[in-house]
Amino acid sequence: MNEPFIPAFNWQEHVISPWMSELSMTLPIVLMAFFVITSCGLIGNYLILRRMALVGDAISHSVLAGIAGVVVFTGGLQVTGLFIGALVAGVVTTVLIELIHRYSRVKQDAAIGITFTTLFALGVILINLKAGQVHIDEECVLYGEIAFVPLDQTKISIPLAMVQAMDNLPLAGEFIKGGQLVVATGVLRMAIVTLVVVALIWAFYKELLVSSFDSALAYSLGINANMVHYALMSLLSIVVVSAFESVGAILVVAMLILPGATAHLLSTRLPVIMALTVLHAALSTLLGFHLAKWLDCSIAGALVVAAMGLFVLAWIFGIHDGLLGKWLRQRRVQHELPEEITQSSSLTT
Amino acid sequence: MRYGFLFIFLGLLVPEWVWAERIGDISETSAFEQARRFFSFQDPAVRYALVGSILLGISCGLLGSFLVVRKMALFGDTLSHAVLPGVALGFLWNMSKDPVAIFVGATLAGLLGGAMVTLIKQTTRLKEDTALGLVLASFFAIGICLLTRIQNISTGSKGGLDAYLFGQAASLGRDDVILMAIITVLAVLLIAIFYKELLLTSFDAAFARAAGFPVTMIHYVLMLLLAFSVVIALQAVGVVLVSAMLITPAAAAYLLTDRMHVMLLLASVFGVTAGAAGAFFSFMSTNLPTGPLMVMGASLVFVLAFLFGPRHGVVSRWWRRQSRSAQIQRENTLKAIYHVLEGRSFEGEGVSLRELAEKRRETIDEVRGQSRELKTHQMATLHEDGDSVHLTPEGWQRACEIVRNHRLWELYLTNEASIAPDHVHDDAEVIEHVLGEETVRQLERTLNHATKDPHGRPIPGLMDLKLGGQIMGGPATVPGYGRTT
Amino acid sequence: MSEENAKTPVPLELHDLTVSYHKRPVLWGVDVEVTAGQLVGVIGPNGAGKSTLIKAAMGMLPLNSGWVKVFGEPVEKNLQRVGYVPQRESVDWDFPVSVMDVVLMGRYGHLGLFKRPAKSDREKARECLEKVKMLPYADRQISNLSGGQQQRVFLARALAQESDLYFMDEPFAGVDAATETAIVAILQELRKQGKTLLVVHHDLTTAREYFDSLLLLNMRVVAFGPTKAIFNQELLQRTYGGRLTILSEVAEAVGSKAD
Repeated sequence: MNEPFIPAFNWQEHVISPWMSELSMTLPIVLMAFFVITSCGLIGNYLILRRMALVGDAISHSVLAGIAGVVVFTGGLQVTGLFIGALVAGVVTTVLIELIHRYSRVKQDAAIGITFTTLFALGVILINLKAGQVHIDEECVLYGEIAFVPLDQTKISIPLAMVQAMDNLPLAGEFIKGGQLVVATGVLRMAIVTLVVVALIWAFYKELLVSSFDSALAYSLGINANMVHYALMSLLSIVVVSAFESVGAILVVAMLILPGATAHLLSTRLPVIMALTVLHAALSTLLGFHLAKWLDCSIAGALVVAAMGLFVLAWIFGIHDGLLGKWLRQRRVQHELPEEITQSSSLTT
Repeated sequence: MRYGFLFIFLGLLVPEWVWAERIGDISETSAFEQARRFFSFQDPAVRYALVGSILLGISCGLLGSFLVVRKMALFGDTLSHAVLPGVALGFLWNMSKDPVAIFVGATLAGLLGGAMVTLIKQTTRLKEDTALGLVLASFFAIGICLLTRIQNISTGSKGGLDAYLFGQAASLGRDDVILMAIITVLAVLLIAIFYKELLLTSFDAAFARAAGFPVTMIHYVLMLLLAFSVVIALQAVGVVLVSAMLITPAAAAYLLTDRMHVMLLLASVFGVTAGAAGAFFSFMSTNLPTGPLMVMGASLVFVLAFLFGPRHGVVSRWWRRQSRSAQIQRENTLKAIYHVLEGRSFEGEGVSLRELAEKRRETIDEVRGQSRELKTHQMATLHEDGDSVHLTPEGWQRACEIVRNHRLWELYLTNEASIAPDHVHDDAEVIEHVLGEETVRQLERTLNHATKDPHGRPIPGLMDLKLGGQIMGGPATVPGYGRTT
Repeated sequence: MSEENAKTPVPLELHDLTVSYHKRPVLWGVDVEVTAGQLVGVIGPNGAGKSTLIKAAMGMLPLNSGWVKVFGEPVEKNLQRVGYVPQRESVDWDFPVSVMDVVLMGRYGHLGLFKRPAKSDREKARECLEKVKMLPYADRQISNLSGGQQQRVFLARALAQESDLYFMDEPFAGVDAATETAIVAILQELRKQGKTLLVVHHDLTTAREYFDSLLLLNMRVVAFGPTKAIFNQELLQRTYGGRLTILSEVAEAVGSKAD
């Protein structure tokens, strides 16, 4: 072991230069991470509210079986195939959990555990059998390949005026080649998925809110709770499979839960929570990315560690649920207690 | 999951490459040869893998049973993911795969994760599922960061640490197996000693607390044992899928028995079976990790229990329902025959199929089929010409019972539950088939042995049931029924 | 007056309703016809099927037999005329919404898909909050409310729904005396406006003064009629007395056989 486990921090190397000379690598990764955490976090908010965080866990694992199935049947990783595979896997998971729960005395939690471990195991076995034919392996399953995102590029034609306007910017040559905008395919796809998620949440805000808060009222308003449930699960499958190649099956769970959980500690208004979720996504992207640069470890892992760090900060210093605030309040109450007792006793007499 | 096994079985038939670096010196051999080598137990790697799998099957089955009955299945999942940073730190201790260091690190990390779940639940508005998922993924991410860091500084080799992710039974060494044996014996002993306490606290924690049991202490002991069994299973099953070895065999056992000690035993047996099968198939094939194979084995056991469990199985319940609806169908035919006989004041012998068909508003063929059904159950005989049906004494008795049940229930609903007489028929149509003799006696007492139903029709009494044999023996006694009218 | 009643369909008609819960029959042959402008208290012991009756009437449970008509139509067609106040424990009070948000949910039935509550809806919600004396709390997060205040919010939401037929499941459970009085006043006011209300109630002593009609329920309708006529020792004895052990035994048998 020649180098220390925790390398020396170098501001220039770990923070500045990724945004200067390595920008063409940095930008796609950072954008990808931001879109992944944002879309996952927004959907995750509803999972948290509906107490389905662990169903999210289950689906993000079982989607692997869908991906593996597609690999076995088509021998490749086409986007449409993957989306269909993920949708099927998501719905199958939801249905299986429901079936086991309804037709046996096994409780919901065990039903979730059995379903997703089985599908995940199946996925791993299938992928292993096909190993070497496609660029997907165990490691990718676990923590993704976000570092490879910049390598797969798509060219988009843009108006000449925009090309000229951007030409004046520094480093524009990295992104504009032959009058066309060059973007990473993964980022483009994830951006579209994020937009779809945002649009759907915006459009069905009312319905999602009522059916999550009070299913009986939702019923009397004519909202089909089952349909909302399956729609949410399908959207979740799509988001998970899009995020899969960059962060893997398990770390997706963190992206689903951590932003929402952090935001929940900081606000009691859903719209604010949504905004905080996006803010959390942005901050954990930046912190996580530079953490990975510094420690030279998995970027996806570092993103989650940063997200978790933000959660812990909110947990300790949060205005509503913060541990520190609670502790201070408790101390103040203890100090003021004698006074309050005299006050209340004088009120009653 | 059927496909998974299909592939494995195909793998059995095709000659395969062997994992030379794990098993030893042989480079190429046939599947049959591989299997022979596995079962000869000559290779120490095979022995360790098999013994290790059996040990982890026992400990996971035992502890998993408590998780399942305490509805804490997913706590097991969180705990098992949370050990990963501990594994990495244990490895960092002296940059080697030291079983004891990894064991201590992983146990501590698991317990820390469990404590964090409790703390989040207690101090914030976040619910349990969120806390579980949060800790699961966060700890796992820390573990991934540490592992990739280790990989990067030790120039490519992770020192066999990747076995901890998906499991590789073949990588178990002598020291690993000894540690597993110690922990398993410890778990079995502790569960045996504190069986009573564990049972009570799992079943009714509030009562146990009131009765003075140290509920919290027992909970923590259980958590510690759980962490232990997760950690010893890690190397063979892998972090990602350990929870399946906890949940699935125990859930399968839960479907098959109502008794805790039987459940513990069954869960261990299932765990051992799945573990050994996983080790075997992993040994047989080229590049399959052990964990997923073990999990598929456990899931197969669960699916079998889910479908074919004698009491709670889906298939057996479906079968019971089928035979019940066949019985209800027969009883309805009997009732119709009774109604036809009643309609002509029990004059004459037997009922023609045409009359029956009219009564039931069905075709002759349909009622012929139903009458044959009655015949196979010795409830009726069909006349030679095949178009009239005669009740046997048993058939007569059952017909009387059904009609009696129906009319008694109608009377009960009308008189005692003050439900309108024109509403009681549909309920009675269902209830007539489920009333037991004891309830009937009770009903008769409550209704002062009434003889007429709300619509004024006679309720067959005990006498009519008993008389059945004679009545059907000769038409002369049939008007005997007239007594009640 | 009576001619007019004959023309307008009855707000709620339950005919021969038999309902099972987990395959076990809970209600048998319920026949009830509630005319407009009635305030009906649904009274009965624990497990008598009071909540089940309300849920079945709203079409939330499958029926074994019988039918429900709301204003002369199947309930699914007239849901927008039905307001529901669930039991307080049925929702998560930690949910990140304010009192105002909850009351606005009552207006969602009047909005179309993709539409947001308009200014008029907010005005309406404010009005309803004022009626239950909760307007000062409009911006509070709902977890910071007492039990009585939570119940008032639910009531305000029901008012905002502007329904014609209301089902309320134990609105008096665990509320303070002031809230109880306030709720009674609002129920009376709604009745005066010609609304029809079915209210599950637990407390026998107050039932007599709160409601003008009572529905005595114990797995079946024991009696239904004006409070003065049916609030007597004999009928209450029949409702609360354990004379129907056979009914529950048989229900048990049906449940286990059906499995």
